[in-house]
Amino acid sequence: MEKQIHIEPVTRIEGHAKISVFLDDAGDVRDAQFHVTELRGFEKFCEGRTLWEMPGLTARICGICPVSHILASAKTCDAILAVRIPETAELLRRLMNLGQMVQSHALSFFYLSAPDFLLGWDTDPATRNVVGLAMKDADLARKGIRLRAFGQEIIDRLGGKRIHPAWAVPGGVNRPLSEENRAWIRDRLPEALDTTRFTIDLFKETFNTIESREVLGTFDSMYLGLVAPDGTWEHYAGMLRWVDQARNPVVEAHDPTKYFELIREASEPWTYLKFPFYEPKGYPNGMYRVGPLGRVNVCDRFGTPLADAELEAFRDCQNGQCSGRVFDYHYTRLLEILASLERIERLIDDERIVSPAIRAHAEVNVREGVGIHEAPRGTLIHHYWVDENGIIEKANFIVSTGHNNLAMNRAVQEIAKTYIRKGKVSEGILNRIEGGIRAYDPCLSCSVHAVGHMPLYVDIVDVDGQTVRTLSRE
Amino acid sequence: MDLVIGIGNRLRSDDGVGREIVDRLSPRVGLNIESVHQLVPDLVEPIEQARRVLFVDADVRCRDLQLQRVRPSAVGGVGHTLGPEGLLHWAEAVGAAVPDAWLLSVPVKTVDIGEGLSDEAERAVGAALERIDEWLDEAVEGLRSEEEV
Repeated sequence: MEKQIHIEPVTRIEGHAKISVFLDDAGDVRDAQFHVTELRGFEKFCEGRTLWEMPGLTARICGICPVSHILASAKTCDAILAVRIPETAELLRRLMNLGQMVQSHALSFFYLSAPDFLLGWDTDPATRNVVGLAMKDADLARKGIRLRAFGQEIIDRLGGKRIHPAWAVPGGVNRPLSEENRAWIRDRLPEALDTTRFTIDLFKETFNTIESREVLGTFDSMYLGLVAPDGTWEHYAGMLRWVDQARNPVVEAHDPTKYFELIREASEPWTYLKFPFYEPKGYPNGMYRVGPLGRVNVCDRFGTPLADAELEAFRDCQNGQCSGRVFDYHYTRLLEILASLERIERLIDDERIVSPAIRAHAEVNVREGVGIHEAPRGTLIHHYWVDENGIIEKANFIVSTGHNNLAMNRAVQEIAKTYIRKGKVSEGILNRIEGGIRAYDPCLSCSVHAVGHMPLYVDIVDVDGQTVRTLSRE
Repeated sequence: MDLVIGIGNRLRSDDGVGREIVDRLSPRVGLNIESVHQLVPDLVEPIEQARRVLFVDADVRCRDLQLQRVRPSAVGGVGHTLGPEGLLHWAEAVGAAVPDAWLLSVPVKTVDIGEGLSDEAERAVGAALERIDEWLDEAVEGLRSEEEV
């Protein structure tokens, strides 16, 4: 008799989701699906609004990564105005995006995921959270708080507030960096760097074997990320690069404004989250992964000394290939925090960063624009079509979490196959499945614009569609 | 130093009253003001640096201003539902000193989606500001910190 297991909600991710595991007659896993069950529909209600509103409007998609949407939107608007923004504006946008990388990755690592693997996957869920982590290691928890606060403070000092700062605008940004704020960032950088290096060392000591990092499964896929013209890790501009599991380029450098030549989106009736795929390989074979693991796998180097040394250590055990381990999302997240901090240091030392020339002014010059950059969770694409007055006629967003949809489903399948045998399910197993999803740090608020919290339900359904057992956790 | 934290979502009509109130607070020496969409662990640092802390938040359940002491408690999770007690619990968990802490609940009419305050919430702002001044002046019986009482 075939059975179906539902896990709903998946906790400590942004938005709503549930997981179904389908068992075969022997009680082993036949298939698994990651469902996103709510829809807000930003693409639709952006229609009819003005171009000038879009950065502020799309920022409201999410409270965790508003900066990502503001920047992608502003870049899209730049394209429609057909302006080249002042160099200081680009430097400042880069600075804010790096602050966003730091705060979002720190949130994911310290607040959301570390309780799982530092306290233990099978720890009581009541204490397996960030407060529990603080109880065990107050110093680490405090370091995590201060590291995230540093990233948040950069956003605040640039944009005037931490959440939804209406700062990046079509043509540039609306406020320069003051010397006072520049000095504040510079003063706090050493501590942030120390914390990150400390945490990377702790991570490497704790998970010092390949096997220990395979707890959430490993599988082959392609990887996608922006890279600079010389192959260096990139987060704001650059070209799209896909590599295969062997780190051979599938696409060396593709114009990001022509993303639609290589990316298509599939839909399934059981989820609101679409499935972007690499078009030449078709659906679902065109699966690729984005985000920290994707970017680290596709880049040739970080381009900063500390991060490059860590990248070399990370790659030493890969035999030149990509890491396919889901758990390595956490590892690469830490590496990206380090690289971001080093980049911030460079930007702060650049005298151009405090120039008051921060905005170009223009009207609508073309009727279609694409804006792409790397959000913490992966490549973020905004694409608008406007009329002659700049009124949005159509908008398309392909968000980071969407790119990883196929891979998240695959991750759930792999973990379920490892940990669910003969129909036996335990709390620890469910935690690992959730952990597999959480490693991708999905932002369902962004991907389908869902809101709210995540309950956890497991329904076991037989081959006739009858629920024979339900487990739940609020 | 005293710390006053106004909490609220300005896109949820009266829910933003806490932030409206702290925005109208007159600056004074020894007063630190935070205006936040929601409570987050980042606030541990300013809290531990304070001698006293006052949270100002909308409350649709109360009919009058309510000023009460709050203590650390593991309630409310650490996400959107983090409350003053939970934040103080957080502070304790990371080894921070927890100051004398108070919550000023402001009666409001609605927290539905929308901008601006209702007439009821607007009227409560003035009374809340007076109450906060008294708290800052420690001029009302029972408002002095536990150590001093």
